Amino acid sequence: MSTASPGNPGLARRLVALEAARADPAGGPGGAVARVCDEFRTPLAKLAGQAGFHSLLSRALALAKAANPALAPVQVRADGTLGGHDGVLAAHGTVESGADIVAHLLGLLETFIGVTLTMRLVYDIWPELSGVEKGRGSP
Amino acid sequence: MSSADDKVSIRKLPTGVPGLDEILGGGLPEYSFNIIAGAPGGGKTTLAHQVLFANATVERPGLYFTVLGEPAIKMLRYQQQFGFFDAAKLGTAVRFVNLSQIALENDLGTVLAEVVKEVEAVGPSFVVVDSFRTVVRKAAGGAGEADLQAFIQRLALHLTSWQATTFLIGEYTEAEVRDNPVFTVADGLLWLNQQVERNSIVRKLQVMKLRGQASVPGLHTFRITSDGVQTFPRTFGLTGRKNKPPVRRRLSCGVPELDAMMGGGVPEGDSLLVAGPSGAGKSVFATQFIAEGLRNGEPGIVAIFEERPEEYAGRAASLGMDFATPQRDGLLTIIYLRPLDLSVDETMREIIDAVERTGATRVVIDSLAGFEMALAPSFRTDFRESLYRMIGALTRTGVTIVSTVEVTESFTELSLSPYSISFLSDDIIRLRYVEIDGQLRKVLMVIKMRGGDHSKDIREYDVTSEGLRIGPRLGGYRGLITGVPAPLAPTPDEDAR
Repeated sequence: MSTASPGNPGLARRLVALEAARADPAGGPGGAVARVCDEFRTPLAKLAGQAGFHSLLSRALALAKAANPALAPVQVRADGTLGGHDGVLAAHGTVESGADIVAHLLGLLETFIGVTLTMRLVYDIWPELSGVEKGRGSP
Repeated sequence: MSSADDKVSIRKLPTGVPGLDEILGGGLPEYSFNIIAGAPGGGKTTLAHQVLFANATVERPGLYFTVLGEPAIKMLRYQQQFGFFDAAKLGTAVRFVNLSQIALENDLGTVLAEVVKEVEAVGPSFVVVDSFRTVVRKAAGGAGEADLQAFIQRLALHLTSWQATTFLIGEYTEAEVRDNPVFTVADGLLWLNQQVERNSIVRKLQVMKLRGQASVPGLHTFRITSDGVQTFPRTFGLTGRKNKPPVRRRLSCGVPELDAMMGGGVPEGDSLLVAGPSGAGKSVFATQFIAEGLRNGEPGIVAIFEERPEEYAGRAASLGMDFATPQRDGLLTIIYLRPLDLSVDETMREIIDAVERTGATRVVIDSLAGFEMALAPSFRTDFRESLYRMIGALTRTGVTIVSTVEVTESFTELSLSPYSISFLSDDIIRLRYVEIDGQLRKVLMVIKMRGGDHSKDIREYDVTSEGLRIGPRLGGYRGLITGVPAPLAPTPDEDAR
């Protein structure tokens, strides 16, 4: 299988942390990863369609699974949301693995539309990051 | 505003098809969704296989979906005849998947699901669907245009998202380009066709569409040989090369008197046209030009169309010039081109490859008439334009070219070439017959030297066993260039004596 390096693991972890902090703690880290991916769904569906977003997330998940077999139960549902992550991403040591899904999604976006447009998309969803993540394609 | 550095960088993959990367503007855009279209027998499958075998590795495998048309077993039988085929890659780097049954029994959604399943299982870097038209024709069944468009769009999105560079192969006609949604979705569209004219077949490739990069427009000829597809870009592989330097040395042509007439020899990098009737010694002059270069250690290339290389070398030997040794040593390349369906671009590729391989500085094309005869009829129609491109391209490599051209002798005018190409040549030497005192004698003159002054003399010459022997200026006649000169009337002083 082709491999690709995660686009920006640091940013991915930051996004997961942001979502974890703003949500119900009961959702745990697995829920945060799923919410980060879900935040991308609407804007990316505008760019690539629902099917296109589904394909991108499937690819990101496949790339993350290749490095982290513990992610095997995680799936992309037909509606483009992550499923099967309950328990898996909450388990010890797999939070980083969950963030890898986000990192690969960012990596794919950087591959297809470039860093500048990827970061513009990120800042649109998480405006609070726009002053923090300087130097990575500020719009 | 974004700067150039902010732009996404699209990697260009080498196609493994000689000449095609240049036509595409640097290579195949990674993750692009492309169509190879054309009539049956056009080389579509061979081209796809060649790209696949050139790129696929175990780490970056290729998936080849076959559908109804040509099953994998037949492809394997025939494709392994080509030099690019690598049996070791089968089953690992290159995998075949037969979609025939699924396409026969199911709708587009099921076909898409099967493709997605295979792609997600293998994670290919390259995907080929052959023939995509068959998929659509069968599986679309009663599906409307919107369903078909949605299917193609989802397929394209999925394959791109999964980081695959894709080729859909289809037997389409050019009339379908406007209405078929697959052409709208595609990032790249390569059109292959073969034209039949009289008894010749000429294969041509056109990049009708390529998103994101500047491909070379126009129709490019290609040939299918035992090595696979080879394309011949209309740019002759010369994009971005330098023009000739302002200060150039003079090259001896091997005939000292003629060097003097040209003001010291042929300016390096020039294109010299030697025009004259049959038997006037054009080829002898060209042979001397090459031989003189070899004497000075300058590699040379002779492109011939009328004689075989051994005959050419034999004739040089009869003039006391050894061509066999420099041929053996790699200093001299004799290119013999005589298929009757040759393209100008193909000829140029041969010559330019030889120039690059041998470092040749002198090139002879003997003759333009033979060259024209070797071309497919469709190329003869625009021979003048082709010569314009060819001579321009060759001189930009820095080589000095001598071309010979036969002109039909007229006794009313001094014709320089039947192709009206004298403006393409930097320098022109004209050989011609004149009738004097009941004899057919030969004269030559330097018509044009773009690099500077030249002799205005009309000199008599002979073709001897040692080459051209230039005599003195032929005085005492007027109308020499008409071929039927008359003795000058004696001046009054001469009369008085």
